[in-house]
Amino acid sequence: MDSNEVKELLEKYWNCETSLEEEQKLHSFFRGSVPAEMNETAELFRYFELQRRTKIEASGFDEAVKRKIRDNRPAGKSIKMYFNYARIAAGIAVVAAAGFFIREEVRKAYPAETEDTFSDPRMALEETKKALMMISNSFNKAHKEAGKIELFNEAEQKIQGKQVDQKKVNI
Amino acid sequence: MNIEVFETRVLPTKNKLFRFAFRLLGSREEAKDVVQEVMMKVWNGREQIGAIDNMEAWCMRITKNLSLDRLRSKERRTTDSMQEGFEVRQESLTPYEKTEIHESMQRVNELIEALPEKQRQVMHLRDIEGYSYNEICEILELDMSQVKVNLFRARNFVRERLLKLNAYGL
Repeated sequence: MDSNEVKELLEKYWNCETSLEEEQKLHSFFRGSVPAEMNETAELFRYFELQRRTKIEASGFDEAVKRKIRDNRPAGKSIKMYFNYARIAAGIAVVAAAGFFIREEVRKAYPAETEDTFSDPRMALEETKKALMMISNSFNKAHKEAGKIELFNEAEQKIQGKQVDQKKVNI
Repeated sequence: MNIEVFETRVLPTKNKLFRFAFRLLGSREEAKDVVQEVMMKVWNGREQIGAIDNMEAWCMRITKNLSLDRLRSKERRTTDSMQEGFEVRQESLTPYEKTEIHESMQRVNELIEALPEKQRQVMHLRDIEGYSYNEICEILELDMSQVKVNLFRARNFVRERLLKLNAYGL
């Protein structure tokens, strides 16, 4: 490109009549050595060139963006939903297992008594009477023993009463 | 759009988006945040993307809108003077760039920073990123005549200033 052509193009450039291709030509012209009379224009074009080389200075920028994207893409929803279902299922499983074991423990602690042991009502009555008699006997025995405790109690109270009287006398 | 399409068509625009956001915000950190936000927006809105024929221009548009939102909320939060905002721009250059951008680059940079917002945007998109007028209309949500007027003014402002600076032998 000779200098006349450049001048012509520049004139068009200042009037904003150049096409992108023509501007490209100017850019490449000013990349080389430039006549002194065009120095100030060269300055401007060198500035443009320099600016074009500015880059985002962030190591790992792409990775950061990709990571962010992977974190919130809707396609991941199915995975999330799977996890939610898994959570619910796990909760149910825990409750069911706990329920099962508790029931086992309860069963061991209180063996089932609801089963009928007698088929004849009269025999059942006899057995019941027997059982009640046994409880009654035991109860009476215990009551008699408890009577002895009362004896001790009375004796102690009497002793204490005397001690109190003595104290009163002393005062 | 699946992840492969995203990685081959959207992610590679990051540097262009970053440059544009940086041009608007003047802060690398914020520009980076905006680009990340844009990426998430595009990904989350990927269902509607079928109707968009120019993905890159669309991304640029989101970048512009998010950046301007940030600028506005920043203006509301703090009543920083212009000077302070300008200093942020200066600080945000890396040491590498500071050495590479010598005086004249700094000078051009200051000239472009001094342009009104619209002119600065149009010039950036045309002269640095090489977008067609149609794409610029789409990105900036302006009509063709506005884009051309803004570009014309921007180029001629910079040209005049540079001629003047050089005439004084600076």
